[in-house]
Amino acid sequence: MKLISTALALTLAAFTATAQAQQITGAGATFPAPVYAKWGEAAKAAIGIELNYQAIGSGGGQNQIINRTVDFGASDAPVDAAKLEQNHLLQFPTVMGGVVPIVNLPGIDANKLKLPSELLAEIYLGKIVKWNDPKLVEANHGLPLPNLPIAPVYRADGSGTTFVFTSYLSAVSPDWKAQVGAATSVKWVAGNGAKGNDGVAATVKQVKGGIGYVEFAYATQNKLTTTQLRNKAGHFVAPTPAAFIAAANAGDWKGAANYAVNLIDTAAADAWPIVSPTFILLPTNPQDVTHSANVIRFFDFAYKNGGDIAKSLDYIALPAAVQDAVRSSWRSEIKGPDGAPVWK
Amino acid sequence: MSAAALSLTGPARDARVAGLLSRRRKLVDGLVKLLCIAATAMGLALLASILFTLLFRGVSALGLHVFTDITRPPGSNGGLLNAIVGSLVQTMVGAAIGTPIGLMVGTYLSEYARTSALGNAVRFVSDVLLSAPSILIGLFVYTILVEPFGGFSGIAGCVALAVIVVPIVVRTTEDMLRLIPTELREAAVAVGAPKWRVIVLICYRAALDGIATGVLLAVARVAGETAPLLFTSLGNLNWSLSMTQPMSSLPVTIYQYAGSAFDDWVDLAWAGALLITFGVLALNIVARVVLRPRA
Repeated sequence: MKLISTALALTLAAFTATAQAQQITGAGATFPAPVYAKWGEAAKAAIGIELNYQAIGSGGGQNQIINRTVDFGASDAPVDAAKLEQNHLLQFPTVMGGVVPIVNLPGIDANKLKLPSELLAEIYLGKIVKWNDPKLVEANHGLPLPNLPIAPVYRADGSGTTFVFTSYLSAVSPDWKAQVGAATSVKWVAGNGAKGNDGVAATVKQVKGGIGYVEFAYATQNKLTTTQLRNKAGHFVAPTPAAFIAAANAGDWKGAANYAVNLIDTAAADAWPIVSPTFILLPTNPQDVTHSANVIRFFDFAYKNGGDIAKSLDYIALPAAVQDAVRSSWRSEIKGPDGAPVWK
Repeated sequence: MSAAALSLTGPARDARVAGLLSRRRKLVDGLVKLLCIAATAMGLALLASILFTLLFRGVSALGLHVFTDITRPPGSNGGLLNAIVGSLVQTMVGAAIGTPIGLMVGTYLSEYARTSALGNAVRFVSDVLLSAPSILIGLFVYTILVEPFGGFSGIAGCVALAVIVVPIVVRTTEDMLRLIPTELREAAVAVGAPKWRVIVLICYRAALDGIATGVLLAVARVAGETAPLLFTSLGNLNWSLSMTQPMSSLPVTIYQYAGSAFDDWVDLAWAGALLITFGVLALNIVARVVLRPRA
């Protein structure tokens, strides 16, 4: 009884406690969660906006903003134009990141293995099953490729990372495009599934001959053995921030509707071929104008001051021209009930 | 049965067969016993290895900052204060909402509707609810409290937990009240007590330990729930006790941190897991030892 009355007293106290006026809530993609959290910390100190971002996954982010249960949604996979229009949403990018293959091959260090892109697709199609396959040996002269079966690992959970990775495989392999395609979860032909970046990394670590794919930030933070990939220009490149930036600069930002730019397998000479932006979804007809304005103020602050933070966490900031384009979209598309722009 | 046994005749043959049968029984008995011991050992080893891993990874991650600082971005050496307090508040409020309802339903089933059709229907529904996947309860509360009100909130999380508490309390309350001998009730009625007084002053008093154990076990059960909170209280990176705002909780924080790229987040997930496990373990021990029904 005493417990119950204490709990009731606590409830009342909690109800009467005033909510922070400047809190904004967002939910969605897991991939950018660390950088949003860090931007949130900086924004709280600088402009007094408290961000609560919850990583519930890209699909969840899209659903929650469509249901208007959060102030903004976040998604790694771009939402198609019809769906954006129907649900009165503006889509804009925040940061970019790379997806990288990781391997477990005794005696082979990070970024030593060279993977021609079509061979990566053939590995995941189950066509190349041994590490000493002549095609792999030919691309890697001098590298002691072991006589081990290849054990591909993929994300068993629906994931923006899988969407980006399979988009790449679809771009470089007609067979992959016809047989499997690109989506947040696909019907895998070969290999075993694992949950999350951590699950894929752990499975690859346990199995000699394993190969998987993770976000670049995850690979860097955990010092995983990444590989080189051959890009569209025919050069082998290692996954580095410079190679990601090269891909970002090669993207056709102006021509992309709703900023859904394709940075996969760009033609730039030194570009990493698996790079993708992550997106924010914001209602164009906000119910709460103050919250909407605060979300925009937050991302405006992040564009202006968040570049170094993004870099420190292995993300790539947007090119300045794109940031300006997004700012004008905010002004022209997000309007209050009175028709006036929410953010000036 | 061997040929040697069959070639014998009369009582000698019977004795031989009995001997063989008994040896076989003993053998099978021994074998089954061994299997049972092996299975028990396996179960205990699993539990021990879980506790050992938790202690090993959790204790090294545990520090004062875990209790004094709120969740922070990677690399800032944050703590879990908002998640710990959020979990405590939601568990306690959830239990405070669910317990009285469960108590009253359990009393109704035991004292008023032991055999009635309505009683059986209520009992059946409560038992179904008891085994309902908790994610469904989260979705249910999402559709009645989150979507219509346009946002995730602490109170939605509390209600989701309360929905889980109700059937547990119903079951233990009814079971405990049913254990009380009818003679006790009759004696009270004989001295002129009305039914409500019999229930409150005789039945509740006699069944108090059992009912309290049920409530504690219900609290222990909901303290570790992630699924019903994901769709209701969502989680909060900041310090917030407001019931109308998203609220942080340990299980959701663990769920999000455990798979992250950053060591300090992964460490915090282990520390949080350790806190929940030992909190729940402590509740179970209190429920079983301190409140053990007096013989």
